[in-house]
Amino acid sequence: MLETVLEPGTADSAASFHERQLAAYRFMLLARLLDDKLAALYRGGKIHGGVFLGRGQEALSAALGLSLKKGDVFAPLIRDAAGRLAFGEPVLDSVRTHLGSALGPMRGRDGNVHRGRPKEGYLPMISHLGAMISVVNGVLFARRLKGVTGTVGAASVGDGATSTGSFHEAINQAAIEKLPLVLVVANNHYAYSTPNERQFACRDLADKAIGYGVEVQTVDGTDLSACLNVVGSAVGLARAGRGPQLVVATLLRLCGHGEHDDAGYIDPKLKSSLVGRDCLKVAEEQLLRQGRADAAQLAAWRHEVVHEIEEAVARAQREPAPDPFAEEWRAISSKQLSEGHG
Amino acid sequence: MPQIPIIMPQLGESIAEAKVVNFLIKPDDTVEADQDLIEVETNKATMAVTSPCRGRVEKITAQLNESYPVGAVLGQIETTKEEAARLGLDVPALAKASDTDRLSKSDANGGKNRVQPTVRGLPVPANAAGASYLSPRLKARMHELGLSAADLAGIAGSGAAGRVTVEDFEKFIAHLEKQRISQASTMRVTVADAMRRSWTRPIAHVGLPVCLDPLFAYRKIARPKPGPALCALRALAVALAENSAPAGRLVGTKIVHPSSIDIAFAVEAEDGVFVPVIRDADKRLLKDLIAPYNQLVELARSRKLPPDATGGSIATVTNFGTFGLEWATPIPLPEQALVLGMGAARHAPSWDSVKGQFVPIMEANLTLSFDHRVLDGGAAGRLLQRVSDLMAHPERL
Amino acid sequence: MSITYLEAIREAQAHALRDDPRVFIYGQDVGAFGGAFKATKNLAKEFPGRVLDSPISEDAMVGLAVGAAIEGLRPIIEMQFADFSTPGFNQIVNQAATLFWRTNVPCPITVRLPIGGTPGSGPFHSQCMESVYAHYPGLIILTPATVEDAYSMLLEAVAIDDPVIFCEHKFLYYHLKAEKLPSEALPVGKARIAREGRDMTIVAYSAMVQDALAAAAELSPEGWEVEVVDLRSVKPLDTDTVMASVARTGRLLCVGEAWPWGGVTAEVIARVTSEGYGLLDAPPQRLNARDTPVPYHPNLWTAHRPTTRSIAAAARNLLRL
Repeated sequence: MLETVLEPGTADSAASFHERQLAAYRFMLLARLLDDKLAALYRGGKIHGGVFLGRGQEALSAALGLSLKKGDVFAPLIRDAAGRLAFGEPVLDSVRTHLGSALGPMRGRDGNVHRGRPKEGYLPMISHLGAMISVVNGVLFARRLKGVTGTVGAASVGDGATSTGSFHEAINQAAIEKLPLVLVVANNHYAYSTPNERQFACRDLADKAIGYGVEVQTVDGTDLSACLNVVGSAVGLARAGRGPQLVVATLLRLCGHGEHDDAGYIDPKLKSSLVGRDCLKVAEEQLLRQGRADAAQLAAWRHEVVHEIEEAVARAQREPAPDPFAEEWRAISSKQLSEGHG
Repeated sequence: MPQIPIIMPQLGESIAEAKVVNFLIKPDDTVEADQDLIEVETNKATMAVTSPCRGRVEKITAQLNESYPVGAVLGQIETTKEEAARLGLDVPALAKASDTDRLSKSDANGGKNRVQPTVRGLPVPANAAGASYLSPRLKARMHELGLSAADLAGIAGSGAAGRVTVEDFEKFIAHLEKQRISQASTMRVTVADAMRRSWTRPIAHVGLPVCLDPLFAYRKIARPKPGPALCALRALAVALAENSAPAGRLVGTKIVHPSSIDIAFAVEAEDGVFVPVIRDADKRLLKDLIAPYNQLVELARSRKLPPDATGGSIATVTNFGTFGLEWATPIPLPEQALVLGMGAARHAPSWDSVKGQFVPIMEANLTLSFDHRVLDGGAAGRLLQRVSDLMAHPERL
Repeated sequence: MSITYLEAIREAQAHALRDDPRVFIYGQDVGAFGGAFKATKNLAKEFPGRVLDSPISEDAMVGLAVGAAIEGLRPIIEMQFADFSTPGFNQIVNQAATLFWRTNVPCPITVRLPIGGTPGSGPFHSQCMESVYAHYPGLIILTPATVEDAYSMLLEAVAIDDPVIFCEHKFLYYHLKAEKLPSEALPVGKARIAREGRDMTIVAYSAMVQDALAAAAELSPEGWEVEVVDLRSVKPLDTDTVMASVARTGRLLCVGEAWPWGGVTAEVIARVTSEGYGLLDAPPQRLNARDTPVPYHPNLWTAHRPTTRSIAAAARNLLRL
């Protein structure tokens, strides 16, 4: 079901909406080509551990990253390459983390999508789905205690995460505290190989909102314009003090759960339906049809983006890996309380 | 032209290898960066291994339907320096599988470096206790002071089952320190250790008086002159050559037989005893042993014995008669079962059954101290008797 | 004028709230109700908006604390019982404990765990969880055994920039009293010689320190002088003090109220045996609860855990070895 409900909230002017549309598209393109590059590097044996892509989810993610402002806090999840880039994460952060450069934000201690810069507003996910939401709550809660106003916190989850206890506890907590939380649920129909009908029994994930006492909007996750409107609206409502905002987007994952998975379990009917549309192509067609950009412009952007990615990859590949002998091997910040035992 | 390897990529959590199922290119083909080259199959999916760069397929070393582990080299792409630099591939082995990765893979494959265990034998009970239990702390203190368990023999233990505790030990040491103390010589300490080790066996003694008149008569005409102890040594050698079992070494249930009849003799030196060895004493006549014997005595007395002059003997002869003693019970060396002792020669009456009266002879006691695990009184007696008989004919020795 | 262990904890929190605007307390029933054990009695009134009731969501409570810490605050999370911290275990060990390691951003949260049994408290209101948390890198684990330490170590916990699991013993809450609060204290990471001795060392922590002292008093008229070491913090563990004590006495008995497998007692013995083997005049011993859930009936409960009597018996055995 591809209902799109627009709520009156922050109504952008026509001009700035189009600017956001173009900006979002460019972030989507960058995310897509970066994902392609990471997939190729993975198959080329250059990446340790897993590679998780966001192919098919760029519109939703970019819309979220773009709707947030500097100073907001964002907890992206596995398929948020576009959102991270739109929020301001440098391409080098992703490339360095995947390639294991000691100069990346996680310094080799965590990898692939488990990266972030807590003090700069984007939180590095832990693998337990749903666990980041209450951390966003904590940041918002603390800001309120400190008297900081006007900021929003966003967390991204998938359909699978909605089954976890952490998800439940965190939304409930945000609702009780009426925190300015925007929780975007990307229902891409599969949690790894598990289809929706084995993940939840309620009619629609959006129906959970009434159970938690929060507001909700739904959106076609393949439609960039719709995403910009709905997500932008949700962010605006949260910022205006309306309490937590749930956004449930419908789309399809267009890649394996990880690059080690060929997603052979995805229902071909879904793939060939509207929900299986490639949001990047849809966005391109929208831009071309609406005259926001022409083919030459798109080609030029593509060329720029490829170059930007290649430069980042070449640079990261030359950087040193972490040196186990230079490591302090200390897990707490208080040196005097650190033991050397074992 | 640099060559860039085609590497089997990471295939997913806990997957260690994949099977090559299809080649999409062949050697000499030109390929683009990220182009699919080889299809591989795991139990989760089929995927393609891609080219690291633009170039020419130099060689494919992987084989169809063979499995290769993650990180294995499947082939090589030849490329230009510019292309390698463009993709940052010109710096070797950055951010790739580390050495530790490679090591752990070879371990997982049951690698070449298998460690042979060095601990053999029976399991040792973990919680040793009882009178002979020495705690780590006690052992550390003993080591610090250069003591061995024999030194603790004088201490009454107050611990469980009478073991010596550290408190008992410290009290003992404190008590000793109130007495006059002098330094024991190295010789003294060495002999003490040897005797302690020897005494762990059951030692018994037998004795026999031997008439020395034949020997003294022989000495009147012999040149050079053999001493009584050397005569006894040679007689012992001949007797042991006839039957070497009494000089065997008992280890568990096995008797280790001597391989040559090497017999040592005791020479007293300041504060201790040296035991130089006459090698193959059974193979040389008494008259040929005199010079080597005398030389060894000289060397011993002047403490200049070379290392090969001691050790490796199967029995020892000791002449305690030189101290005027008629009787003694020497202790064999720890690695030997026998020590033959000779007492002082004295005038003694001997019953002459032909004349029907006592006649004076020169007589000395021969003693044999032996490890009772290796031989019994009967065998000891027979050996001693044989030595005595041989000494009655010194001219044949 | 005397102050209980529980009052000391309340005083420390009041002190922290007063002196540092970054501190707040979050937990179930901590607000107007003052907490299940009254550890936060009147604090919500004295510090409005800073002592807040949470829903029954240990996972979200700890997650919120981590987020607040990233934002620069110093949250104190009160778990109603240590046993209930398990729903929040993931956030403690995988979120809070890894934040500094992964991002170089410290995580200054304090999680207060009411640990230990009282007669009739049963399997889910009695657990000691210090070794479970100590096993994970990135956490500091405190186990105060005295009123003075309950006060000063909680203050220090809040000041430490890393996640602290503060194990406060429920039985000691009202049973332990002191004359007054201390003005100075041993720092976290240093153990305390609670009783000087000569013949053996008992290493204990939390409520067991009190039982160990009682056992030592029982042995003194028999001619044995037992040294009692109060670990105070389980992680970091003051190996030096323990080692020095064993060097003096040569015999070691470790006592813990927790279960045997992989407990604090196992850790202490492992360290002393591997680093101080030559100090031991007898095999090191340990005494723990039996390897079953904590029973409900007081008959079973008293037989399940170390007591003054069982500690004294174990000590006598060791002294006779």
